[in-house]
Amino acid sequence: MNSRTRALRIGAGVTALVAAGAALTGCSSTASGGGDADKTTGVTISVVLAVDPPPKATLDQFTKDTGITVKWSNVDWDSLQTKIAAAATAKTYFADATDVDWSRVGQLAKLKWFHPMQDYLNVSKLKGDMPQLASFTDDGQTVGIPFDASYMVTTVNKKMFADAGITTMPTTIDEYTADLKKVQAGGVQYPLNIPFAASEGLSTYWYETTGAFGGKVLDGAGKPQFTSKSSPGYKAAEWMIGALKDGLVAPANINVSDSQGMQTLMAKGAAASIFSDYSGNVGSLYNVPSSSTVTGQVEYIPTPGVDGVGPNLTNADGIGIPMTAKYPKAAATFIKWFTSTDAQAGFAGADGPSKVLPSYALPSRLSAVDVLNKKGSLDGGDVLATLLKDSKPVFPDGAPSWYPEFSRAVYTNLHAAAAGTMTVDQAIKKIADTANQLASGS
Amino acid sequence: MRRTHWGRWIGVAFILLWTLIPIYWTINTSLQTDAQVTSRPANYLPPTPTLQNYAALLTADTDTAQAMRASIMNIVIECLAATIVTVLLSTLAAYAFARMRFRGRQVLFYAVLATMAFPAYTTLIPIYKIMSWLGLVNTYTGIVLVYVSGFLPLATWILYNYMSSLPRSIEEAATVDGASRLKVLWHVVVPLARPGIVSTAIITFLFAWGQFLFPLVLSSDLSTEPLTVAIAALQGRHTVPFSLMSAAGVLAIAIPAVIALLLNRYIVSGLLAGSVK
Repeated sequence: MNSRTRALRIGAGVTALVAAGAALTGCSSTASGGGDADKTTGVTISVVLAVDPPPKATLDQFTKDTGITVKWSNVDWDSLQTKIAAAATAKTYFADATDVDWSRVGQLAKLKWFHPMQDYLNVSKLKGDMPQLASFTDDGQTVGIPFDASYMVTTVNKKMFADAGITTMPTTIDEYTADLKKVQAGGVQYPLNIPFAASEGLSTYWYETTGAFGGKVLDGAGKPQFTSKSSPGYKAAEWMIGALKDGLVAPANINVSDSQGMQTLMAKGAAASIFSDYSGNVGSLYNVPSSSTVTGQVEYIPTPGVDGVGPNLTNADGIGIPMTAKYPKAAATFIKWFTSTDAQAGFAGADGPSKVLPSYALPSRLSAVDVLNKKGSLDGGDVLATLLKDSKPVFPDGAPSWYPEFSRAVYTNLHAAAAGTMTVDQAIKKIADTANQLASGS
Repeated sequence: MRRTHWGRWIGVAFILLWTLIPIYWTINTSLQTDAQVTSRPANYLPPTPTLQNYAALLTADTDTAQAMRASIMNIVIECLAATIVTVLLSTLAAYAFARMRFRGRQVLFYAVLATMAFPAYTTLIPIYKIMSWLGLVNTYTGIVLVYVSGFLPLATWILYNYMSSLPRSIEEAATVDGASRLKVLWHVVVPLARPGIVSTAIITFLFAWGQFLFPLVLSSDLSTEPLTVAIAALQGRHTVPFSLMSAAGVLAIAIPAVIALLLNRYIVSGLLAGSVK
């Protein structure tokens, strides 16, 4: 065989391979699930979340009780969103149960990437015990079940406040601002932490502040509610940028993210308050000696509002069942257990350290919070329980499907206003333009 | 003249600082505790240098350490396998394109090169579907195949340039002596092209080492997850373990840094092969 013939054969082989690849791309299977979908025992399900697994003994007990083995993978939140999107787009199995973030609910519901949870659990019965369930429902479809109760809450360093002569905690934003100035005069150079880095934490800070000013960001149709100068959203943005310009917030905060500010400023005594902190941070960060120099000093306070205590907005993590799950029924059994009162109370420390789920903030069930409070095992439990009961979704009508683009517009423009490259008015206008454009579908 | 001299040194110093300061800061952070890392003012040198983060990643009997050890093993296996297969296939392909004359050679060669212009991300979903269909998700084979398909065009191009610059006369002499194509390739071309092959291997290995998105999607647990993916998982829900992640980062850059420093001349010669006739 001469070299030309051989080369032609090689060329033909390569062409055949390319063609086969293209054919495979076009005709690959859809979901990997199938006949085993109804199995609820004797199967191994894959659970992928951005948290460490519960203690092995706890999972072993679940397996013993149900016959379902759990293979747990911890993937960081950002990477996990990529995996969810890739698997759903490719209609490929990657997990039986995985993360449902509150901010993605509208998107996930519209794209039908997750099974409606009402097909598997009695969702209406859960509502009374899980105030944050509303954040996971869009257009009648419950995409996920909140497995803990992260919501935004105000924290203060009571020692710093007391050193400045403040013994009664502020209940309005005006009082809060005046108190921060007193704390500053008392020697704390930059008493307030606002994370002005261009990331999601800045958006959620603004939502919470907007809520405290008595309003909401978008209406049910996705139309911006913050364009008027007298609107709560506008005032919230002005208050935040004003705090930076007035020196209540450190200039370096322009590049500080939310978790960075909590870890390096609040936990180190460099800031005296975070208006929009995470529920659970007192117990899991500020009272932990290895990560904090202010143990025992930071407490939750009811969020200051316009005329009194303001609302707390939910940013909880949920768990749901992807459409491509192999064993959706078994996954539902797991979710039912994982979000049960007993399991949640145990994860939060009610049954001692052996059942604690690392980094678990606060149960999403009021009944589990009650269990913890009765046992006295929750830092700031009384305040947290009250706030949880009254916590509200950021978007009462469900997060819009275009939320990621909207959030990007929020943090990019507020960051620019903080950096001084545009005014608050210009930033608000740009955010509103983006919202209008997205809401109109253009 | 003197101004040019100073200008050059200022430029070099700027690039060096720009490149090395982040690496220095990562190493500095990795040698501190989290409390020291988050203290103010920042510590430009570790106040009490400690290897506890490295110990926590490599020797401790914890889930984190087990994950790190497994992911280091995975990344080494995946990168070595991808390098070997890529070099083997690209050597054959480059030789064919450089020395053989067949119909459609130019078209095929440029078609291979054109694939380098596609952003890798555009192929993510089709590749994921194919791998899932073939049952190769979460396997070494799947990840290595994807790496090979991604790096083969560049490797072929580098070796094509290198082989094209070699004199034909030695090969012709071997052919006259009765050597077959494969014998000529193996006994004549490969020894002559060894520097190019080494540089191709190094470049492929370094590229494979830095991969994140494809292994993130194609691996689902520690049986295949490489170090780059495992590092990201160290991040907590609301907290970032700065010093631990920095130590993991140092481990991740250690092997490629050693390779790049020791074999720098091969990398440069490989990338410049064929650029000067």
